[in-house]
Amino acid sequence: MASRRKRSIFDIIGEYFEDLEEQAERLGETLMERPSWNCRSCTLEPLREIMVTPTEVIVTVDLPYTEENTIQVKPIDKNIIEISAKMKRKIRFDDFGITHYKGEFQTLHCRTRIPLPVYMDKMEIRFKKGILEVRLPRRHEYAISIE
Amino acid sequence: MSEEVKIIEKKEVPSGAIMLYGFPDVGLVGVIAASHLISELNLTEIAYMDSKLLPPLIVLHEGLPHSSIRIFGNHDVLLAVSETAIPADTIYPIMDALIDWGKNKNVGMMVSLSGIPIQDRQDAQELKVFAAASTKEMLKMVQDKGIEVLNEGYMVGPQAIVLQRCARIGVPAVTLLAQCFLNYPDPEAAAETIKKLAVITEIKVDVSKLREKGEEIRLRARDVMKRTQQEMTKMKKTQEYDIPVYVS
Repeated sequence: MASRRKRSIFDIIGEYFEDLEEQAERLGETLMERPSWNCRSCTLEPLREIMVTPTEVIVTVDLPYTEENTIQVKPIDKNIIEISAKMKRKIRFDDFGITHYKGEFQTLHCRTRIPLPVYMDKMEIRFKKGILEVRLPRRHEYAISIE
Repeated sequence: MSEEVKIIEKKEVPSGAIMLYGFPDVGLVGVIAASHLISELNLTEIAYMDSKLLPPLIVLHEGLPHSSIRIFGNHDVLLAVSETAIPADTIYPIMDALIDWGKNKNVGMMVSLSGIPIQDRQDAQELKVFAAASTKEMLKMVQDKGIEVLNEGYMVGPQAIVLQRCARIGVPAVTLLAQCFLNYPDPEAAAETIKKLAVITEIKVDVSKLREKGEEIRLRARDVMKRTQQEMTKMKKTQEYDIPVYVS
């Protein structure tokens, strides 16, 4: 049997703060108020939804006004995917009647955290009526048997 | 009318008109439909809401301030619309004030335009529109015109209050609910409610522009949709998915 190093109080406190930081980051992603546009990266943030089924995590993203062949879905971590798609033309603030901001946008872009372990390499994608659907099979890391 | 909520009239309000409601809700169906109706029928602002219950927010149009909840109209139609999500805890006094104001103007009927979310909406070939009504007579009227009735279930949000209050104060009311996305703006569903509105009223509007500009509308409506999602969560909108216990 492999021997386990005994954790010191400093290890436990360190892990506690790491855990807190991770939770704060997640909370920030969902709650922090920020614009749905970014002039520096020339991107607009699309609306998205996550649904969990017994076998899959399904992410849908509303990508109106985009070209299907420009859609990119990249896993950038074991639990984060990055989605981007180019729009059919550049959109400027004045297209929305806004003149007090300046900037133009050509891409819809977002990063989404997947809430459960999944097989990123088995990702399936489809695009219909401007809605991107990313299906990720769930990775069941353990099961508890009923006696 | 409640002291907390005032409706300020800017123009003469017709009597006996049909009063429509287009409020932020699932798929922003009501707001998108209302915006299209205002544009196509050339409706002008005839009244607006003033209330400290609303967030400290104005909508600027051409540099001038406007209330986020306004009533547009012409001789035959009154249309109440909100350009922002209504805080869940203020929905009752706001809707009650609008309904009571409409009753005082002797409106002939009230119609709420909204949606009913369905799973895999993107795969739906045709979007059904369901109706619910404040009285048996109104229900028969919509059925006779070929609109399917929403028989059992829960309704949450402004349209629920319209039906409930109208039933109590004796104003005929109908809610039209088009199948739609829950959390994405849905101009196609808005077009379907307008088509069914034409079946039960004399309000006939071409929806082709709404379809043509659908993608632009979806892009533009992201922020209002996001705010609306937050308020829908607070008012437990997903209760509409629940299967009710039958109590006769």
